[in-house]
Amino acid sequence: MIILTLTRTFKAGFQNFFRNGSLTVAAVSILTLALLIISVILVISISANMGLKYVQDKIDIRVYFKSDVAEQDVMSFRSEVQKYKEVKAAEYISKNKALDDFKAANAGKPDILKAVEAVEENPLLASVNIKAANPEQYDVIAKSIENSSYRNDIASINYQQYKLVIDRFNSTIKTIRKTGAFLFILFSLIAILITFNVIRMTIFNHGTEIEIMRLVGASNNFIRLPFVFEGVIYGIFAAVISIILLFPIMKIVTPYVVGSAYIQIIQTDFTRYFVLIFLAQLVVGVLLGIVSSILAIRRYLKV
Amino acid sequence: MIEFKNVKKIYTGGIMNTIALDDVSFLIEEKEFVSFVGHSGAGKSTILKLIYAEEKPTSGEVLFNGEDIANIKPKDMPLHRRRIGTVFQDFKLLQKKTVFENVAFALEVSGYPNSEIQKSVPQIIEIVGLSNKAENYPHEISGGEKQRVAIARALVHRPALIIADEPTGNLDPISAWGIIQLLLKINKLGTTVILATHDKEVVNNIKRRVITLDQGRIIRDHSKGRYAI
Ligand SMILES: Nc1ncnc2c1ncn2[C@@H]1O[C@H](COP(=O)(O)OP(=O)(O)OP(=O)(O)O)[C@@H](O)[C@H]1O
Ligand SMILES: [Mg+2]
Repeated sequence: MIILTLTRTFKAGFQNFFRNGSLTVAAVSILTLALLIISVILVISISANMGLKYVQDKIDIRVYFKSDVAEQDVMSFRSEVQKYKEVKAAEYISKNKALDDFKAANAGKPDILKAVEAVEENPLLASVNIKAANPEQYDVIAKSIENSSYRNDIASINYQQYKLVIDRFNSTIKTIRKTGAFLFILFSLIAILITFNVIRMTIFNHGTEIEIMRLVGASNNFIRLPFVFEGVIYGIFAAVISIILLFPIMKIVTPYVVGSAYIQIIQTDFTRYFVLIFLAQLVVGVLLGIVSSILAIRRYLKV
Repeated sequence: MIEFKNVKKIYTGGIMNTIALDDVSFLIEEKEFVSFVGHSGAGKSTILKLIYAEEKPTSGEVLFNGEDIANIKPKDMPLHRRRIGTVFQDFKLLQKKTVFENVAFALEVSGYPNSEIQKSVPQIIEIVGLSNKAENYPHEISGGEKQRVAIARALVHRPALIIADEPTGNLDPISAWGIIQLLLKINKLGTTVILATHDKEVVNNIKRRVITLDQGRIIRDHSKGRYAI
């Protein structure tokens, strides 16, 4: 009986979906729009976070010391810097290590290697590589190094080149954190409300039908389930349509969010997220459909 | 099978309350064929609605096999309605379903297997003479045809009680008599039949029990009754 009820009500829901015409189109488009807005917000924050993470992993402040500075002075600079609460890690790179790294990096280029070996003394400088706990703090760290007692030993501080990128991500992420959560909640609510109302309208259209079903002896489940299944089908259709639309939309939107330089990196990572986003849309869409139908039909089920 | 005990039904709302039934009592035994007659507004449909529980009595009791219908729990109400096959005065067909699907619906809600549905539905549709309209929707068929679909749906699950509210209202005399003969035949096979009708000719030809209503009261109850108002 349960299986019969399920297959019969599923079939009825399926028929309703295709026989309802314009209301079906309205319900699916509204749900699609809601899913799309929610996923665009989600995707923007995911990609901004990914972009930031990528840049964060790359960026650091490199403090180069003049070649006559003693190794122990550099070490004491390092241990002092490590005490800053903004600093996550500080790595000492000796002249020799720098040379080894340089050789490794240029392994395929014999003329460069020859030129380096031709110089008697190691031409490279010792440095300290500093990573901040938080990308916003590079400015502060750089300033305090510039003003520290070591300033006369320092040949150069290298971090400017990342500053723009960091600033960009920082401001994007700040706005997203602030507005994203708000928009996400707002649009989820709007989506629920609209879907609820569209489904209520379709059920209202079925008002006499529900009345008839009751009088002919249909149980509440037999009346309710077709609408629930109809909601499920709305959700599935909306998820499929919105994932198809999401790809081109993101292609247009992401460059504005993360800057075109990083689009390549983000998009490769992004395709991995697509399956996840689709599943999320499917779940959200189907749940929206189900919850809206159950809420909308409740008042028609009093015997 | 059905017993009304001092049933009063007052419809509230509208300009003023309507006393549709006033102190109505009667007993219908199993396998009876009973016709309710009376002027329009006399309360015929109201009596039938109280039996299949579309309406509740304002006071008094409606008993079905000795059980007060008012005591049926909401979740058991579908089971009560499945015991009855109802031909509604306004047909109450599902507009989004075909003739076949409408008739099949009565079996589906009761959980009959598909094989049974595939067998019984065409049979009953054949009996009411609508085989060539089985795949049409209600808005594509005539009033008389709709009425026959409603009758087919009421009969298909072979209920113990058939309630027919003006089942011949939209039919020509010959088709009307065909439907009545069908009901008589089903009654002969053991089904209780309750009929509400205006149709004088029909009532006089049935020659069975007739209960006459006037303004919500029973004014006559004769076991080989005639239409006499
Ligand atoms: N839902 C309702 N709300 C208010 N009044 C109603 C309602 N249903 C019926 N009535 C009133 O109750 C009285 C009895 O109605 P009922 O439908 O039982 O009459 P009937 O004998 O079936 O008439 P007909 O032969 O025209 O079908 C009428 O006066 C009618 O207007
Ligand atoms: Mg009536």
